[in-house]
Amino acid sequence: METGWRKELDFGVLSSVDVLGTAVEMFTAGSGAPLLFLHGLDGIEGAAPFLRELSQSFTVYAPSHPGFGNSERPARLNRVDDLGYFYLDLMNLLSLDCPVVVGTSFGGWVAAETLTKEPDRASHLVLVSPVGLPTADRREQYVADIFMLSRQELGARMQLGPAGVGSNMATLTKLPEAELQRLMRNDEAASLYGWTPYMSNPKLADRLHRITVPTLVAWGAEDAIVTDTYRNAWARALPQASVETIAEAGHRLHADQPAQLAVRIAARAGR
Amino acid sequence: MKIWQFTEQAYHPAFQVPGPMRVTLPQHHCDPVEAGQLLNRYLDEYMLADELGLNIMVNEHHAAATCMSTSCMTTLAILARQTSKARLLALGIPLANRSNPLRVAEEIAMVDAISGGRLEVGLVKGAAYELFMSNRQPTGFMDRFWEAHDLILDALGNQGENFSWEGEHFHYRTASLWPRPIQQPGPPMWGTASSAASAREYGRRDYTCATFLSGAVARSVFTGYRESYRDTHGREPSQDKLAYLALVACADDTATAFARAEKMRSYFTTAARLDPQFRNPLGFNAIDANVRMLQAGSAAMRPRLRNGQPLPVDGTIEQYMDAGLFFVGTPDEVFEQLAAFHGETGGFGNLLMMGQAGELDHAETVSNLTLVARDVAPRVAELPDYPTEIRYEAVG
Repeated sequence: METGWRKELDFGVLSSVDVLGTAVEMFTAGSGAPLLFLHGLDGIEGAAPFLRELSQSFTVYAPSHPGFGNSERPARLNRVDDLGYFYLDLMNLLSLDCPVVVGTSFGGWVAAETLTKEPDRASHLVLVSPVGLPTADRREQYVADIFMLSRQELGARMQLGPAGVGSNMATLTKLPEAELQRLMRNDEAASLYGWTPYMSNPKLADRLHRITVPTLVAWGAEDAIVTDTYRNAWARALPQASVETIAEAGHRLHADQPAQLAVRIAARAGR
Repeated sequence: MKIWQFTEQAYHPAFQVPGPMRVTLPQHHCDPVEAGQLLNRYLDEYMLADELGLNIMVNEHHAAATCMSTSCMTTLAILARQTSKARLLALGIPLANRSNPLRVAEEIAMVDAISGGRLEVGLVKGAAYELFMSNRQPTGFMDRFWEAHDLILDALGNQGENFSWEGEHFHYRTASLWPRPIQQPGPPMWGTASSAASAREYGRRDYTCATFLSGAVARSVFTGYRESYRDTHGREPSQDKLAYLALVACADDTATAFARAEKMRSYFTTAARLDPQFRNPLGFNAIDANVRMLQAGSAAMRPRLRNGQPLPVDGTIEQYMDAGLFFVGTPDEVFEQLAAFHGETGGFGNLLMMGQAGELDHAETVSNLTLVARDVAPRVAELPDYPTEIRYEAVG
């Protein structure tokens, strides 16, 4: 059955890759230098317009993380730390020796974990609205708790543009079963990796110094999920990175400004 | 049929506060002196139930004005000491709210010892919205549930050397219960079910199976239990293995009984007051269950009236009675209603009776419990355990 999210990705190829016995859904598109895209909680389908832009300059490899989309998950793979090792295995398997690595939000956390383990595995690293550093200090929260928000409010706060399909109960309940399954898998995976400690690895900050490749951290100027304090924490933890703030964009910067973001990444990577 | 007194021990003065009654209700709405008085009052009513020959059921919730019992075993520790005859049922201990299953076993053993072996125990998942207070990991919960369950049972029944436990989720160097429970291999175990599928597991395990406020669905729950019990054990379960939870308002005359029911009705309306994002935390329910719930819509989860329509949350007393969630009237009328429901569901041996709920006050609760114990309990005790063939005729 052709469902909505598949149509959004009609400019590339959806396949399955066996990573040491785990079947991983992989979207590939475009041509040029390799780029590994690590999606956020909105899945690869939530990044479709951005992936289309990136595919103008790069050969884009966009896997669904284990547990998301149609990707299997090994039973004990349950931390983003584990995902870091998983993506090193995936890069070995696909002979992605030194791609540009781009991660959005949760995917930025995954990208950072991966690169702290093997700092030479990317030519450039781009973290778009990353999470992964501690999201609160005792009673002070730096990142909105998505698990405490209604679907409607979360959907509205994630970006400036239209909310995702999962944020409206009236439309959500009428989706084809395969799409519902996919959304529920994405929700479950968000809970698995991000419930507690909330969307963070307390050890990540102490490892970020290992990242030596040229790195860009990009934020939406109107991000309603993370606070300035949190952005400053990233700047302190990753002083070697350039920081850009893009106007007229929320937390899902890649959804609000896909073309502009893709152009900046291509310029950074010399494409 | 045996009757068990149950109350959620609500802080009903907060019912007047607008908005949710759970998770987000600020605690400054609680006057702790008044809360203490209410808790003591509910304990008095449990002690009265004991004197009247009723059994006792206790539950727990968290961050809720609808239920101030935040630990089954804390409440039962008091009742173990202050009652003498009643069976004491914890239904249930929510394992989603417990990080330490060995601690759960210790509390069970201690209360069983203090009570002289009168404890009965349900290990339950717990309400989904209470994960926001316990902050236990929502995903993979059922695997952790069954490992915790197995560890607790091993500890309760251990008569050999102390043991260590290196499981997938729990790790102990030594498990040793001092005291250990009087009842061996442990207190009788209960489970809660809202469908035939979930009841089957308890049939296999020979646990008592309770269904709460489910109306006509109770029939399929009990049928599922009986089928799996027969398949597993090669005999029919006695109806003592089945339980139904409902509200009862009894008085000397029908009008007074309905007035009491009206005061108890706020149990239903306040229990439902909860912001939607807390009902189903991401990752707690299985993906297929979530898909089915979304496809079916929220009304599908509601009990049904006899005409097939969903029971409204703010339904009338008559509608709650029609759906089988409320038994209201004189002792004769309550008996007739219970006997009819007993027949329609194929029979069950335990009525988990909310004899206090909502804003029903102490004097009314005392009267309610006294009438039920004196004039209803002896008659429902005689309700027959139907032979199989008659039962299947009855359930259609």
